[in-house]
Amino acid sequence: MNKTIIININGIVFHIEEDAYEILKNYMTEVKRHFFDSADSLEITTDIENRIAELFNDILMKENRQVIVEQDVNNVIAQMGSVEDFGTQDEEQESHFSATYTDMPHRRLFRDPDDYLVGGVCSGIASYFDVPPVWVRLAFAITFLFAGTGFFLYVILWIIIPKAITRADRMVMRGEKLDLQGFKRNFEAEVSALGGKISDFQHEARPFIYKTRDFVGDFFHHLGRFIQALGKVFVKIFGLAILLACVGFTIALIVTVLTFLAYGDIHIYTLFPFNVVNREYNTIFLLSGFITLFIPLLAIALATIRLVFGRETIGRSLGSTLLVVWIASVSIVIYYAAKATAEFKSFASFSQNVNIKPTANHTYYLKLNDVKYLTREDSAKLDIKDKFYGKTILSTDEDVNLPAPFDNITIEIEKADVSQPVLTEEFSSRGGTYEDALLVARDISYNFVQQDSVLKFDRQLRIGDKQLWRDQEVHLHVKLPLNSNVVIDQNLDRYLRGFDYWACKDKDKSNKTYTATFIVTPTGLQCKADTIKVLNTDSTKVDNQ
Amino acid sequence: MIVENTQTQMRKGILEYCILSIIAKGEIYASDIIAELRKAQLLVVEGTLYPLLTRLKNNGLLMYSWVESTSGPPRKYYSLSEDGKKVLEQLDTTWQELAFAVQTSIDGRKSL
Repeated sequence: MNKTIIININGIVFHIEEDAYEILKNYMTEVKRHFFDSADSLEITTDIENRIAELFNDILMKENRQVIVEQDVNNVIAQMGSVEDFGTQDEEQESHFSATYTDMPHRRLFRDPDDYLVGGVCSGIASYFDVPPVWVRLAFAITFLFAGTGFFLYVILWIIIPKAITRADRMVMRGEKLDLQGFKRNFEAEVSALGGKISDFQHEARPFIYKTRDFVGDFFHHLGRFIQALGKVFVKIFGLAILLACVGFTIALIVTVLTFLAYGDIHIYTLFPFNVVNREYNTIFLLSGFITLFIPLLAIALATIRLVFGRETIGRSLGSTLLVVWIASVSIVIYYAAKATAEFKSFASFSQNVNIKPTANHTYYLKLNDVKYLTREDSAKLDIKDKFYGKTILSTDEDVNLPAPFDNITIEIEKADVSQPVLTEEFSSRGGTYEDALLVARDISYNFVQQDSVLKFDRQLRIGDKQLWRDQEVHLHVKLPLNSNVVIDQNLDRYLRGFDYWACKDKDKSNKTYTATFIVTPTGLQCKADTIKVLNTDSTKVDNQ
Repeated sequence: MIVENTQTQMRKGILEYCILSIIAKGEIYASDIIAELRKAQLLVVEGTLYPLLTRLKNNGLLMYSWVESTSGPPRKYYSLSEDGKKVLEQLDTTWQELAFAVQTSIDGRKSL
C-alpha cells in the first residue's frame, strides 16, 4: 500500500505515488534551475512538462493503470534526458567561445556561498587556483597579523568578487567540466543579439553601487552567522563551566555531609550551625540543609544542559517532585533556624567572686592553664587514678565538647578597692526567656586555679554536656591591690581586654621571656616599662636642680 | 578535448540543419522529430530538443500550432516559416558545398 498524490501538469490530473512524485519534483526543479537564466525558460519547461504529461498518459493508457509509479518516472526521465545530458549538449555550443583555451578548464573567480567562514572569499580563491581552501584561509589569517592588512584586502575582495549565485556560477568557479555557464552565455548572447540588446555579463556590468549594496547585505548576513557561531561556542564553553562548577560544588557538599556524618555524634555538635539546634533534630537539619543546597545546584546543571546543549534532561513530574522536596527542606531549615533564633532572644548574666590569696611580694603571674580539666565522668571513663596517676593530661586547642569557637572568655585586670585581691567571674548566656538564659548561664563552669603567686586561667569555659550553644560567655575581672606587679604570659594575650600586651612587650627590650610586666596604678593597669621611664625623667630633673 | 570539441561543433551545426530538414516535410510533433533524430543517431534525449526548437522558433525559422490530442495535453506541431524555408535552402546549398569540400579532401587524401 502506497500513498498517492494528485498532481496537475498543465491542466491534466495524475495520481502519482509519493516516491515517484519526489523524483519527478526533483527532476523538474533541476530542469527549471538549468534553464533559469534563459529568456525562454518558461516556454521550455512548459514544453518539457507537457511532454512528460503526455508520456505519463501514454503509459497509463497502454498498461491500463491509474497511478504513476517510480519506474514510470524513471523511464520518462531517461527518455527526456537528465540535466547533465542537456548540459553536455549545451556545452557544445559554448565551445565556440572557449575553443581557444579548452585545454585549461575555464575557471572564474567567485565567492563561494556554500563553503564560507566569513564571506566565502577564501574558498572562492582556493577554487580558482584549485588548492584546498584551508591554505588560503591560513594565508589570510597570517596577513591579518600584519597590522590587519589581510582584513582590508579581504573586505575589498569581498566587494569586488561576485558571489556565485546560480549553479552554473559555482560550476565555473570550480572549473567543472559540466560547463553550464558557457551554455547560458551562448544562449543569452544569441537571444539578446536577436532582441537587439546585450544583457550578457550581468555580473560584471553591474554598477559598483549594487555591488556595495550586495556586499553590505552579505556582510551583515555572514557577520550574523559568524557571531552566531562564535556565540554558540562561547555559550557552550560557559555552560560547560557552569556544569563543572555545579559538579564541583555538589562533590564538596557531599564530602562535607559525609564528613559530618562520619564524625557523627560528637564533633558536629560543637560546630556552627549544628551546635544551635537540638541534637535529636540535627540529622534532619543536616539532610535538609544538604537538600536545600543540592537541588538548586542540580536545577542549575539541568537547566544549563537543556539551554546550552538542547537536551531534555528531566521530566515534568520529576521536576515538580524535586521542587516540592526542595521547598520542604527549605521550610525545615527555616523552621529550625527560626526556632534557634528564638532561643537567643533573652540575655541573662550573673557574677560570683573567687578570692585570690594575696602574695608577699605583691607579684602575680597570670598564665594559661595547660593542664586539662576533666569532668568527673571523663575521669571515671579514662580511669585517671589507675592509668594516669602522676601524669598530666594537657589541654589543647582542639578540645572537644566546647561551645563554638567564639570569643567567649575575656580577662580584664583592675585595681581592687580593698587590699584583698579577688576574681569576679561573670557568666552570661542567651535563651528563649530570661529564666532559660539564666539557667543556661548557671550551667557554665570555668576553671581557675591559683598556685602561690601564679594565677592559671583555663582555655575554655564549659557548658553542660547536653547544653546547646547559646552564646555563653564568661568575663573575668581580676581585681588586684594598688602597685601589684602583674606578669602576663604571652599565650594569654588573646583573652585580654583593655590593654595591649604587645605594646608593652615591645617597650621592654631587655625582657627575653614570653611575658610582659604591668603595674596596677590608680587609673588601672599600666606597662611597667612606662612607669620606669617616668621615674627616670623625674630623677634627671632632680639631678639638674 | 580538441577532437571532442570539433565533433560536437560539427554535430551541433548539423543538428539544427537536420531539425529544419525534418520539419520541412510538413507539420510535425516534437516526439516525432526525436524519433527521426534517433534514427539518424544524432540525438538521444528529448530534453535537449526543446531549447533548440524554442530558439529556432524565436529566430523566426519555425512556427507552431496547437493541435488537440486524444491522449493528454494539446500538442505543439511545428512547421517552417518562410524565413525557415529560405534558411533551409541556404543550408542545403551550404551542405552541398561542405559535402563536396569534405569529399574532395578525403578523396585527395586517399589518392595519395
